[in-house]
Amino acid sequence: MHRRTLLILALVLLLPLAAEAQKPIKVGMPMPLSGPPALFGDPASKGAQMYVEEINAKGGVLGRKLELLVRDSKADANEAVRQARELILKDNVEFLVGTLTSAEGPAVSVVAKENKIVFIAPIPKTDQLTAPDKLHPYIFRVASNTTIEGRSAAEIVAKWPVTRVATMSFDYAYGQDVTKAFVEHLKKVKPGVEIVDQQWPKLGEQDYNPFINAQMAKKPEAIFSSIWGGFFVTYSKQAKALGVFDAIKYHFIGVGEAATPETTKSMGADYPVGIWGNSYDAFYWGETAAHKDYVARLSKYLKDEYPSSWAIQGYIGMQFLAEAIKKANSTDSDKVAKALLNLTVETPVGPLTIREKDHQANRGQLYGKTVKDAKYPFAIMKPVTYVDPTKFMD
Amino acid sequence: MPDFSFIFAQSISGLTAAMFLFLIAAGLSLIFGVLRVLNFAHGTFYMLGAYAAFQFMQWLGPGRGRFWLAALGAAAAIALLGGLVERFLFRHLYGAEELYQLLFTYALVLVLGDAAKMLWGTQQKSVSAPPELGGKALSLFGATIPYYNLFIILLGPVIALGFWLTLQRTRAGRFIRAAALDRETLGALGVNVDALYTWVFVLASFLGGLGGALISPMRATTPGMDTEIIVEAFVVVVIGGLGSFWGTFFGALIYGQVLSFGILFFPRFSIFAVFALMAAVLILRPWGLLGRPLK
Repeated sequence: MHRRTLLILALVLLLPLAAEAQKPIKVGMPMPLSGPPALFGDPASKGAQMYVEEINAKGGVLGRKLELLVRDSKADANEAVRQARELILKDNVEFLVGTLTSAEGPAVSVVAKENKIVFIAPIPKTDQLTAPDKLHPYIFRVASNTTIEGRSAAEIVAKWPVTRVATMSFDYAYGQDVTKAFVEHLKKVKPGVEIVDQQWPKLGEQDYNPFINAQMAKKPEAIFSSIWGGFFVTYSKQAKALGVFDAIKYHFIGVGEAATPETTKSMGADYPVGIWGNSYDAFYWGETAAHKDYVARLSKYLKDEYPSSWAIQGYIGMQFLAEAIKKANSTDSDKVAKALLNLTVETPVGPLTIREKDHQANRGQLYGKTVKDAKYPFAIMKPVTYVDPTKFMD
Repeated sequence: MPDFSFIFAQSISGLTAAMFLFLIAAGLSLIFGVLRVLNFAHGTFYMLGAYAAFQFMQWLGPGRGRFWLAALGAAAAIALLGGLVERFLFRHLYGAEELYQLLFTYALVLVLGDAAKMLWGTQQKSVSAPPELGGKALSLFGATIPYYNLFIILLGPVIALGFWLTLQRTRAGRFIRAAALDRETLGALGVNVDALYTWVFVLASFLGGLGGALISPMRATTPGMDTEIIVEAFVVVVIGGLGSFWGTFFGALIYGQVLSFGILFFPRFSIFAVFALMAAVLILRPWGLLGRPLK
């Protein structure tokens, strides 16, 4: 009798363990799916989902399928934290991949630290996310960061025949950090340059006219802007109407992905063709066979002839997670976290490595001067160059 | 000391912003004046106006005169939508507490906002400036004034005057003013107050939709633009006085200039200057500059 009870007890205890091996590996993704930032959050989550479906079709990871749980973070730090907590406590996710803004990323990083869960940030760029005082064993970033982006832009502007440079950035973590990195690096590589004006509209500003007037009154010869995404559409329409681009002879560089195919496509003939900009990806890049293949798959998946440049970030985030689980041969967060250090992954944009030092991948971006191209009904970057940040990440 | 051309350019950009805000805030103020309800969904009508303009431009294709057709079509479509919302939904709430009416307009924000996302997606949309005015600018006292901005600056007062004359000089206008004062008596005198309210909604939505359509060549059309504008429009009507027509006009003028020149004095806090102004008005004249104290 006693023995039978023990046997049943043992069975009851062991059954869930046996079932465990068959259960999918749950990954939580807090990502803005509403409001203007959904422009990037939505395709990024779809890129992640595409990777999940592809790897599941091949049998998953360690014999288990991946399951992605996407939640709308509303681009709000509090909401992202709430969603991350709920994903961990209620949905029992084992990993987090997600967040978009530089407010959400660091906030969710704290949750990951508390719960000892690996968190891979695919988009937030603020340096503070992986700064020495904020770094912990579970946070990793496969996005570019503000140091990389600011310095990449400075390298380009340094080659222009200009000395009077102005900046236009939103007054919050990302805008301030990327502008600081740009200004410091530019002064280093081209000491003669003078920063004649800096404007700081609030995040999401809709009327740039007063800022543009104030800036142009200082007679800059070149402008660095980090006004991103849909906000760049608004800014550049108003700047174009006020003759800004002609006045500075198109010595303008827009970081914050001002030259993504999505932006040039939506603006069509209104895009200030001739300016410089960057993008995480461009369907027309076609540098390698791997990239061409990725674009073809994505195009089919999104049913879009010119697929989004943001999907790649969700895709890479999931790719790093899956590769780390394979390398660790476990879904234990501590083991996966260790496996992510110095992990090199062959991504569609080439090999990327997460550094042990600051958990930051050497993710650069595409840069180029925008031109009209007969092949497309919108401007493209040509020639488009991948700026590898490895040499100026420190 | 900044030079004159800069000050002039700043005041012009303030004026442009003011005229846009007036277009949108006027409808908000009108509905409040007559129905005594703060219509949160007014910002949504503005956003839908921009999307509708984009949609009409897609159908019409680029060309001379097309933008104006699209803008008027968009405003008319939004006016129709506003009328339908009043006639079939909002009407059932007149007897209810104000809180329910407020909640209803907020629910409209969410429902229509999501509907817009389903129809047009989350990608930003962009409408080109009309070829008659786009890409050209006037140089005046060393300042660059795009023709389109000039058009907006002139349109604002025209609409304000037309609106005011309608309210003052026409039979419908007199009824609207009477309804704002005493709904029951007006009804007892044999005026169809229900129909009047529908027309007020139609007119207010027309202005909101027109504002959205006209702003689309200057801004990106994205989800979320509805909640941004409603805050600004609200500040304008609070400064000017809720329900006061000219108050809204002057509130918008003040808002535009404070924002424009604010960046000279507090470059990083110009938005703070506007809210500080609103706070000051609320403390000194809680009913706004030209409003009447609520009984």
